[in-house]
Amino acid sequence: RRLTSMAAWDLSVTVEDLGSDAPPVTISVASDLHVGGVIVKLVEKTQIKRDWSDHALWWEQKQRWLLRTAWTLEKYGIHADARLLFMPQHKPLKLGLPNGKTVWLRACFSNPVFQTVMGICRMLNIRHPEELSLLRPVEEKKKKKDKDLTEEIYDLTEVPLSSVSRPCLYNGTPAHFADSEQMEAVYKMLSVTQPPPAPEAIAKQYRPASVVDKAHINGRWLDSSRCLKQQGIQENDRLWLRFKYYAFYDMDPKYDAVRLTQLYEQARWAILLEDVDCTEEEMMLFGALQYHINKVSLSEPQMPSSSAALDDLESALQSLEVKMEGDGNSASDLLENMTAPELNDYLKIFRPKRLTLKGYKQYWFKFQDTSISYFKSKEESIGEPIQQINLKGCEVAPDVNVAAQKFLIRLLIPAPEGMNEVYLRCENEQQYAQWMAGCRLASKGKSLADSSFQSEIQSIRSFLAMQKTNSGSSNNAAASDESINTHSLVSPRYHKKYKPKQLTPRILDAYQNIAQLSLTDALLRFLQIWQALPDFGHSYVVVRFKGSRKDEVLGIAPNRLIRIDLGVGDVVKTWRYNNMKQWNVNWDIKQMAIEFEGNVNIAFGCVTADCKIVHEFIGGYIFMSTRSREKSDTLNEELFHKLTGGHEAL
Amino acid sequence: MQLQGGTHVHVAFILKLTGESRIITFVKMDDIDAMFSDLLGEMDLLTQSLGEDVVPPKPLPSTEQDINLSIGFTGLNASINELEDNDLDALMADLVADLNATEEKIAAEIQGLHVPPSSSSDLPPPPKGLSVRPSYSITSSSSSGNNNTNSSSSVTTASSSTTSPLPPIQSAKPTMEEVEAQMKADKIKLALEKLKEAKVKKLVVKVLMNDGSSKTLMVDERQTVREVLENLFEKTHCDCNVDWSLCETNHELQLERTFEDHENLVEPLLAWTRDSENKVLFQERKDKFEVFKNPQNFYLWKKDKKSLTDMKDKDKELLVEENFCGTSIIVPDLEGVLFLKEDGKKSWKQRLFQLRASGIYYVPKGKTKSSRDLICFIQFNNVNVYYGKDVKNRYKAPTDFCFALKHPQIQKESQYIKYLCCDDAWTMNLWVTGIRIAKYGASLYENYQTAGRKAAVTAAVWTNRSTPSSSSASTPSPTIKAKTQTQANGYAPKSQAGPPNQGIGNLPPPPPPLNEILPPPPPDPVFPPPPPLLSSKPLPQRQQPSNFPPPPPDPVFPPPPPLLSSKPLPQRQQPSNFPPPPLSMDSLPPPPPPPPMDTSSEDPPDFLPPPPAPAGFSSLPPPPPPAKEATFYGNANRSLPPPPPHTEFLPPPPPDPVILAPGAPPPPPPPPAPIAPPQAAAQPRKMGPAPPKRTTPVLQGGGGGDGGGGDFMSELMSAMKKRTDH
Repeated sequence: RRLTSMAAWDLSVTVEDLGSDAPPVTISVASDLHVGGVIVKLVEKTQIKRDWSDHALWWEQKQRWLLRTAWTLEKYGIHADARLLFMPQHKPLKLGLPNGKTVWLRACFSNPVFQTVMGICRMLNIRHPEELSLLRPVEEKKKKKDKDLTEEIYDLTEVPLSSVSRPCLYNGTPAHFADSEQMEAVYKMLSVTQPPPAPEAIAKQYRPASVVDKAHINGRWLDSSRCLKQQGIQENDRLWLRFKYYAFYDMDPKYDAVRLTQLYEQARWAILLEDVDCTEEEMMLFGALQYHINKVSLSEPQMPSSSAALDDLESALQSLEVKMEGDGNSASDLLENMTAPELNDYLKIFRPKRLTLKGYKQYWFKFQDTSISYFKSKEESIGEPIQQINLKGCEVAPDVNVAAQKFLIRLLIPAPEGMNEVYLRCENEQQYAQWMAGCRLASKGKSLADSSFQSEIQSIRSFLAMQKTNSGSSNNAAASDESINTHSLVSPRYHKKYKPKQLTPRILDAYQNIAQLSLTDALLRFLQIWQALPDFGHSYVVVRFKGSRKDEVLGIAPNRLIRIDLGVGDVVKTWRYNNMKQWNVNWDIKQMAIEFEGNVNIAFGCVTADCKIVHEFIGGYIFMSTRSREKSDTLNEELFHKLTGGHEAL
Repeated sequence: MQLQGGTHVHVAFILKLTGESRIITFVKMDDIDAMFSDLLGEMDLLTQSLGEDVVPPKPLPSTEQDINLSIGFTGLNASINELEDNDLDALMADLVADLNATEEKIAAEIQGLHVPPSSSSDLPPPPKGLSVRPSYSITSSSSSGNNNTNSSSSVTTASSSTTSPLPPIQSAKPTMEEVEAQMKADKIKLALEKLKEAKVKKLVVKVLMNDGSSKTLMVDERQTVREVLENLFEKTHCDCNVDWSLCETNHELQLERTFEDHENLVEPLLAWTRDSENKVLFQERKDKFEVFKNPQNFYLWKKDKKSLTDMKDKDKELLVEENFCGTSIIVPDLEGVLFLKEDGKKSWKQRLFQLRASGIYYVPKGKTKSSRDLICFIQFNNVNVYYGKDVKNRYKAPTDFCFALKHPQIQKESQYIKYLCCDDAWTMNLWVTGIRIAKYGASLYENYQTAGRKAAVTAAVWTNRSTPSSSSASTPSPTIKAKTQTQANGYAPKSQAGPPNQGIGNLPPPPPPLNEILPPPPPDPVFPPPPPLLSSKPLPQRQQPSNFPPPPPDPVFPPPPPLLSSKPLPQRQQPSNFPPPPLSMDSLPPPPPPPPMDTSSEDPPDFLPPPPAPAGFSSLPPPPPPAKEATFYGNANRSLPPPPPHTEFLPPPPPDPVILAPGAPPPPPPPPAPIAPPQAAAQPRKMGPAPPKRTTPVLQGGGGGDGGGGDFMSELMSAMKKRTDH
């Protein structure tokens, strides 16, 4: 009996590297041969000299990898009829990034997706890979074939796997990105924000129109506890890498260049595609931030924000020095000059609320510190002004039409009795930009001496330039910031509602509050406002609650579950995770049952996503919330699987 | 004095005060004559009180210095008349202290100017001429109100512009070029510094207490509400719990609100009209920080009441953490029907409102609640939220639970004030709190934490007090160390130093001083504390690390070691240094007066012996003159101009602590002074350490209110350093 069991039999294995047409390689094995031995025999037989270390056996019928090389064939239950494939564990994937770009890289097909993502993130230099995952892409709307061909693919397949498993960082950048110019370009793509997309590019993308639509995307997430191969992913397939859990731990711009950039890109697209709803005012602010981020990131080389200010100071000091050396004036005069620049010009003023029919009247205006005073004429400007208006705390709104040469500054000036409306009319762009900049600064209590005065003028002028350019031209190439189409900054809804020209002043209006932010601060601000939206971080799934006859939506948020009535869209109930006692999955009837403190029990079946996905979401968020407590940087992978794996885990 | 041509008239008053001291006042105004006589009267009053009430022995020593003080508000006279005697005392003490501080600085300046011999020659006759630039806001207020004799307003403007002298500069035999470069830099520094200093505004504020009494304080433009509160704590010795607040009531509009702790007090008060009957109240307001004590009531308000009241502390903490400690501040999810008073009309209209981080929105008729359809009702940038009172009567409101949003400058009935009415008090509270969270964000939580720390410290002090303090008395040196730490931590935003430690630190090395305090003008026993107090305080507060080569990452831990090693030394040595400079001694108002002053003014006698006294005492005499400081720093770096440039922020002769001191003898805790030291330290270092650290601390930490300025200055310093380097 022993003899028979140990008898040799033929095992045929398809070796992928021989080509798809090549016949399987047959080797003679016994059941007590361990998998490692099989591989050795196989390699000998092929007579190919190469590094086989990444190769492993895949068992087609059972859809599993034979990764335990010490296990015998008997232990695995493999007989002669088994169809085995011998192939590398790492295979190339086309990975769509949050910024819309595609990288081509080798990912692990044999480990659980959780680990695959860890590997990918190590290669791309993204910290906290547990927040990301992979999903099957949404097919884009039909488009011309040629577009597909022109898509640029960033090739990372040559990156040695050893460099990925133990990346060494130079200045926070993995070494493999310093290998060549191409690689540096890839890193730049990863870590620098993309220019605003062409309006058509936004319109072309799939936009969820309802909560149910939004729910469908969540059916596409891959299972973190199983490997890519098991989930039917093939070599060179296209997948998306996205932030899945909206709990961003320990974001540090110093180490998180790629993470921050990609998160911003994901947030930007979520806004542009109305994946998360916001109000018009908020949309304008998001638009302004995008505009600003693009502008700042274009001004290369990237300078830390402080050094720019220093340069200003430098020149200010230089000029001061020159003035001091050139004697003749008293020092106090010089100081006066340096610290209290003025604007002086003829402008027209109109007070709409006054019951006069006079309309605009011209005066000689003087802008000093944070106040405007006006006089009958230039000659009389040494005397008492007709009026002096302090602009501190006032509201400033532009009313500009470049084509009609209308340059109006609308001021709403607070006074004890209320707000006074005053319009200032400028003659031309140059004048308008200066006075507008002055008003803006003064409203914030800053004088014209403030170092931001010049940049404020600059940004007003570039916005004016935006009004001039035709909306028709929409080269999605990195156009100069002067000619950004404002439709690139807002969702398609506003493309219909407003012309680019109409959008410009609105975005400019929002822009004045953020114009001084550094790149990093602007990115962070964008993310903050995004995170403050009421619907932020809600992942929706259509479910059927136990005992209910209609479909409802379950919103999964970082700290709670939300039951939403599909008909009205109202929040019916919320349950917080920290009140959760336990949850169970009945895999047979695909039902989740959750128990909360106070004897609250809920149960539901999942309609638009697999039960496992919902289960993983909940467990995943609970896992995310444990991170803050253990300060270590190492990822507690085991805990993640315990919380998300369900019965199949481990 | 050369007058500037143009519309503004600068008037210089020179008034003999004592000996050679002069007060120079610059005022820009329409009616010179009226102003002139007004001011003369005022000055008489001032001199009188100086002579009689406050400082029996001439407070101003006969050092030959100029003191620049500008008073830009004519109503001061009237207001002063109206103040009770003790108020006046306090006020005068403030002023005197101010003068002393100024003198101190001028002394330093003079010294400084003489050190580099050639330097002064080509300097335009500067210091005085340069320094005084009346600030616009002051002058505008003076011009508008010079014919008023109001008696009701509880705020009096007294803006003083003090010269900020250039600190002495010591150059260790540099080459001519270096000298020149240095001089240039100094001139620039001097100029800038004076420009800033000249603009500091001070108000005399009358604060109403719960019991109907009132206290009068001088409030510096840069002081935050928190700092004023601390000041009041010292004056009232209340329990300092987190609910104590300063509130503003607008009589005419029947509106009131609680100032947030991080706000600057002076600015909103300046918006009051001259004749307003507005008041500043010092009271406990439960609603101020309720959201941090019971966050569930705000964030889970839709849940049933029972589960909310049973909420475990752990879960409350989690809620606060979720909403205030994440990358983004989360605003409570508020939505409901409120009554809106229509612009300028008498009718009230119901609308479905929604609170978002970006503002209040409403759902337009016939539309869904979808975000994109919402109409923006108001954004919070330019408005504050107030509770409305008596709205049913005044405006025929449907309920009396009304809150209003208005620009802080609006003081009278106006269509620009938005009134919203809620069904019940709780809903109103929800909305007001929600709006505050949306408007102030993280600052609110920081305020709460700061207030909590203070409350904890006070509690500790009180418990400690009850036990005989002899235990801590035995070891004076440890207490001193603890003390420096306390001072450091009290206002440093992030410092986590345990409250107990602070509590102990707050205790002065108590009992022995008790005996020594009253008699001693003798410097040694009592004075040792002060120098550390003043000089050390700023150091640890921010960026102090830059004093030492490596900028330590963690503000809490690394600093202490060097601190302890370096500081105690000077501390101990200081006493010995102390006597020699007669100058400083002269400028000290003879120590005895202050304690009596408190007692007479506001503080009940039982308060005197315990802790604060010694500290306050110590801070009263203008601390060791800058010269001393110089020796201290001098070792570290010769070329370092000892006290940093923007003298107004300087620790050694800080105007602020001194200002506070007389009014509130106890340690003037929150002097917005700290901004300078870091820069002083940073200066020799090129520019490495300063920039990155600067950001947050400057904004919140010192509460100097002049964060922006500090920023600018530090950048300037680095820039200048760069210049002089090549």
